[in-house]
Amino acid sequence: MTGDYRRFALTRAGQAIVVVLLAYVFTFLIISVLPGDAITNTLRDPQHGLSEEEIQRIVAFYGLDQPVVVQLLLSLGRFLTGELGFSLQSNLPVSQLVGDALPSTLTLATTALLIAIILAVAIAYGAQYLPGKWAAIVRSIPSFFLSVPNFVIGLVLIEFFAFRLHSFTTTDPNSPVATLFAAITLAIPVSAPLAEVLIASLDHESRQEYAVVARSRGLTEARLFAKHLVKPSALPSVAMVALIVGELLGGSVITETIFGRDGIGTVVQKAVTGEDQPVLQAIVSLSAVIFVAVNLVADLASPLLDPRVKLRESKLKEKV
Amino acid sequence: MTAILSNTQLRDVGSAPRKLTAGLPPATVLLSFAVILVVILWSLIPGLFTSLSPVTGDTASKLAAPSAAHWFGTDYLGRDQYARVVYGTASSVTSALVAVLIGLVIGSIIGLASGFRGGWVDAVLGRFVDVLLAIPGFLLAVVIVSSLGFQTINAAIATGVSAVAVFARLMRAEVMRVHSATFVEASYLEGGNRLHALLGHVLPNAYRSVLVLAVLQFGTSILIIASLAFLGYGDPPPASDWGLLVASGKTYVTAPWLVYAPALVIVATVLSVNRISRWLRNAK
Repeated sequence: MTGDYRRFALTRAGQAIVVVLLAYVFTFLIISVLPGDAITNTLRDPQHGLSEEEIQRIVAFYGLDQPVVVQLLLSLGRFLTGELGFSLQSNLPVSQLVGDALPSTLTLATTALLIAIILAVAIAYGAQYLPGKWAAIVRSIPSFFLSVPNFVIGLVLIEFFAFRLHSFTTTDPNSPVATLFAAITLAIPVSAPLAEVLIASLDHESRQEYAVVARSRGLTEARLFAKHLVKPSALPSVAMVALIVGELLGGSVITETIFGRDGIGTVVQKAVTGEDQPVLQAIVSLSAVIFVAVNLVADLASPLLDPRVKLRESKLKEKV
Repeated sequence: MTAILSNTQLRDVGSAPRKLTAGLPPATVLLSFAVILVVILWSLIPGLFTSLSPVTGDTASKLAAPSAAHWFGTDYLGRDQYARVVYGTASSVTSALVAVLIGLVIGSIIGLASGFRGGWVDAVLGRFVDVLLAIPGFLLAVVIVSSLGFQTINAAIATGVSAVAVFARLMRAEVMRVHSATFVEASYLEGGNRLHALLGHVLPNAYRSVLVLAVLQFGTSILIIASLAFLGYGDPPPASDWGLLVASGKTYVTAPWLVYAPALVIVATVLSVNRISRWLRNAK
């Protein structure tokens, strides 16, 4: 059994590393092969006031005078050793830029994830146990959440809670209350798919025979929910949470812009406007690393969360 | 004594009181179709819905609140916000369509190829799809649009590329599902080739779920393109894409309708699209 699990874990980990490397290559190709010679444009931009010597140094560092393949290998080699290069705009190391911005985004994203989970559980619970009409309304909430753009939620929250109710000020975007509202903005669209998965899973589980048996033993619905339904729903939910992480990273670009927070999203935006390729390359690849790592953990955890997964895996192997 | 009932009377007993609306989809679906119809008409013949210009305005009546003359109020140049929304529809809707088409075509080709060929083709394409999924969709769209240049059409392409993965996965799953069915095996026995299996069996069977996804993805694309426009990565003003209208309206705190009107249009459109997609999914 443990041997099986180890082989499963190693295969998954290997696949994850391959995907991260390919994501790096893919991003590199998008940034440097698509039309528009960004690096040279940026370098030659007189606004940067780079001397010819500095330009030569940067050209040599990125291998800009060599074929794309060489540039890619140079860049990939540095990435593998943890070296992310230098920002073309500010000349600072990319790792420093990212390191400075990361805590703010992590706070925002973790808070948002917590809120999203709470929202989704509340919606799923309501859809399951509220009386008929209310349950139907609650069931349509995810679809509504999915239809409202992130930026609209943010603007509405700011309008009401900052401008009318003065719960927070937009001039201090890092205050706990402002962070909370930014997190709510980010959490609402993200909670929708999670709520849908939970609703579907609860619907399925509460129809199973063991749920009927538990009810017949006299378990209240609340205890049935807590004792029997939550655990089997955990598996699809964990998978969905892992998928959501990517959306949190992407959504932070908009949320941080609206709330005026300084985070990874803001760095991305500045890099896009300034055609700062090394910064974009680093952030996109790091996002892929985070996404792949979180999903790998979710994958590896799934046989532990639900023994049936392992069974199915080994059954497959028996067949083959 | 038994009364003699005619054939038609007998048949009527079975299908007792038929409601007039029986064959129709639910009311919310009809409403959704109505919303989409209006949106389509706005994009095809905007001139029919407003006589006002979206580009020039009367500066004397700038930042006016919504009224009978200006349904959505006016912006800082006195331009009618309703006219701006109506004229911005074509670009917002077409770009979402382009995005869906790109995702649908490329994604389907990838999915079909990996489902049909299997083996190393499947392995290679599968990793490619993994890569597309690993990069957060919105971030991917932002990077692509920044590489291609800030235009609405590029935003559409970027959104389309970030949708390729979901279509590829669905199509692959559909091919696998149908391809192993007995009737497809039977068609091979009868001398059918792969092309026949593809056109005669796989595509007709996959059509419904792909359509549902395409409709759903249309709504998502509207949101993503609006978000890109909001960040300023689409066509610059005086273009009036919905997302851009929200972005330029947010500066005027005293005129919240400049934000709410286009925002409501986005929400109503996407909500309708999602409702239709859900209806298609559940309808037999």
